Amino acid sequence: MSGQGQVSFRNIVKLHGQFAALKNVNFDIKPGEFFALLGPSGSGKSTTLRILAGLDAPTTGRVMIDDKDVTSTDARDRDIAMVFQSYALYPHMTVAENIAFPLEMAKLPKSEIAPAVKDAARKVKIDHLLDRKPGQLSGGQQQRCALARAIVRKARLFLLDEPLSNLDAKLRLETRAELKKLQRSLGVTAVYVTHDQEEAMTLADRMAVFMSGEIQQVGTPAEVFARPNSIDIAGFIGNPPMNLVPARYVDGDVIIAGHRLKTTATTAVERDVVVGLRPGALRMTEGGLGARVDLIEDLGDTAVLDLDCAGTMIRMRVADGNIPGEGDTISITARPQDIHLFDPATRMRL
Amino acid sequence: MATTAVTSAGIASEAPRSDFGRILAQRERRFAAALLAPAFLALLATTTFPLLFLVYTSAFRMDLAMPFTNGFVGFENYQVLLSDDRFWTSLLVSLVYTGSTVALQVIIGLALALLVMDMKRGQGWFRVIAILPVVLSPAVVGMIWRTFMLAPEFGIVDFLAINAGLGSKNWLGDPTLAMVSVIAIHTWQWTPFAFMVLLASLASLPEDIYEAARLDRASAWQRFRRITLPLLRPAIVMVIIMRTMVALTAFAAIFTVTAGGPGTATEILNLYAYRKSFTELSIGYGSALAVALLIVTIIISGILFAMRRAK
Repeated sequence: MSGQGQVSFRNIVKLHGQFAALKNVNFDIKPGEFFALLGPSGSGKSTTLRILAGLDAPTTGRVMIDDKDVTSTDARDRDIAMVFQSYALYPHMTVAENIAFPLEMAKLPKSEIAPAVKDAARKVKIDHLLDRKPGQLSGGQQQRCALARAIVRKARLFLLDEPLSNLDAKLRLETRAELKKLQRSLGVTAVYVTHDQEEAMTLADRMAVFMSGEIQQVGTPAEVFARPNSIDIAGFIGNPPMNLVPARYVDGDVIIAGHRLKTTATTAVERDVVVGLRPGALRMTEGGLGARVDLIEDLGDTAVLDLDCAGTMIRMRVADGNIPGEGDTISITARPQDIHLFDPATRMRL
Repeated sequence: MATTAVTSAGIASEAPRSDFGRILAQRERRFAAALLAPAFLALLATTTFPLLFLVYTSAFRMDLAMPFTNGFVGFENYQVLLSDDRFWTSLLVSLVYTGSTVALQVIIGLALALLVMDMKRGQGWFRVIAILPVVLSPAVVGMIWRTFMLAPEFGIVDFLAINAGLGSKNWLGDPTLAMVSVIAIHTWQWTPFAFMVLLASLASLPEDIYEAARLDRASAWQRFRRITLPLLRPAIVMVIIMRTMVALTAFAAIFTVTAGGPGTATEILNLYAYRKSFTELSIGYGSALAVALLIVTIIISGILFAMRRAK
């Protein structure tokens, strides 16, 4: 490995004319970390990655890699490898030539290139395809070729821009697991852009959640899942995402559809709040919040219920064998520690 | 053809369902042939027949100045041709003219295309202005250059040469300068064509592979050499083929500027055949020269197409 791969973004702003693609982005990535940039499309995560790669320049702010300011360093000189969403394979070169290209540019002797290409191809299981052109490969094989080209050079940073989004669902799951193993075995710092929260949750050591050009939360997947910082993140993370219900907060309790639920909050005020409830954190109980079952989506081992609580739609996940019938009326509750409170005005966590 | 048509029709009447598709296809083929026939006949009459007639004529002595010597001579014209110094000179002039104009068109056209690709604005205007020479008639281009550009003292090129301290030159009177001039004229007129084709081809190359190459630490020159050039190769070969065919048979621009002169300095094979046939009225030998040009053209295009197929 040629470096450490520690990254810092300092007050990065990127303007496209009047439009601010990034508004003051700050984060740090530790060496060897698998770091995900997660957010819906247009939230600025790809722009962030391109600025890190040196393909775009920030309008203001500084990019640091291994404590050196690289803001004005060309992409060539940053020692970064990247897997593009489109794979960006060289169409006129064979798989072997594609993988060898970064090594040839680094002026490695031919005797070292051939074994390195073989090795990289074997790691991603395409060593039987070395003589093919990209046009003769399936999507998954092209994706592996792009991966091999990125890992062959042993760069200090490994960037992945939605690398799995063009694969079919089954292949995506397989490749996801392999990607994680590959990154672990190489010990390289990886920055991974995705709009798929499940990918980020499963792959990342830590992640930054982008919303309209800003980072709203940085943390481990577990942290972000357990304590989302804002209504937007709460509604983005989790499948199905958190229920967000307008309610009234009175002295430590919230009142939803006339029913009182205890929270962990203790402030003695009365105000409007948005209550966040994970579908999996809801329990059926006697004397809870009354709800009518509108629809059941059976997923096999679990089922997701669409509940109507006096006009408010709430989704609930229940284990198999415990599923009520459609049209039944049930009574639900949640433990105080599972109730998230958000400010409807600032949209931030209370 | 006729027998297969009859048998398949016979089978079709026995098993109408299974052969319905075949009959339909056959009807469609006949209809297609009927549609093609007029164009095919016109082509036959205007290109194939004259070509065959040319080959036929080349086997005769057909001298309009001395009609009493006319008659079938077989390969005599070709024997004369092989020992004709003027033929070999004109062939050499043709090859130099073609080689240098095509090379210049591709190099300048590619350079311009690469420059214009990087232009943020004004690309459209540049393309409109660049295309102007192409739409002019080569004869008009020749006249413009002979008068406006190359006339001693008054021509723009001569004026620039004088001001650059080179002194007034006899652009069309000096054998070497005349050759340079006709090459420059052809290049001036047809480089925009190469430029347009290569620009369109460049614009179709994906942006992301250049970004990938930058991250793979390829320099600007390496990106050009290893990515742009190989990907443009089909377009470049196409331009070379098309422009070579035209340059080999160029006529009007040279005819109006130098008419092959001074002496035979700019006399390409085409012009020599023209002079033999229509100035000296030796149609038979002129035909043999034209056939020789045809053979040269076929050989060169054969080589170029082989290049195109090769990896």
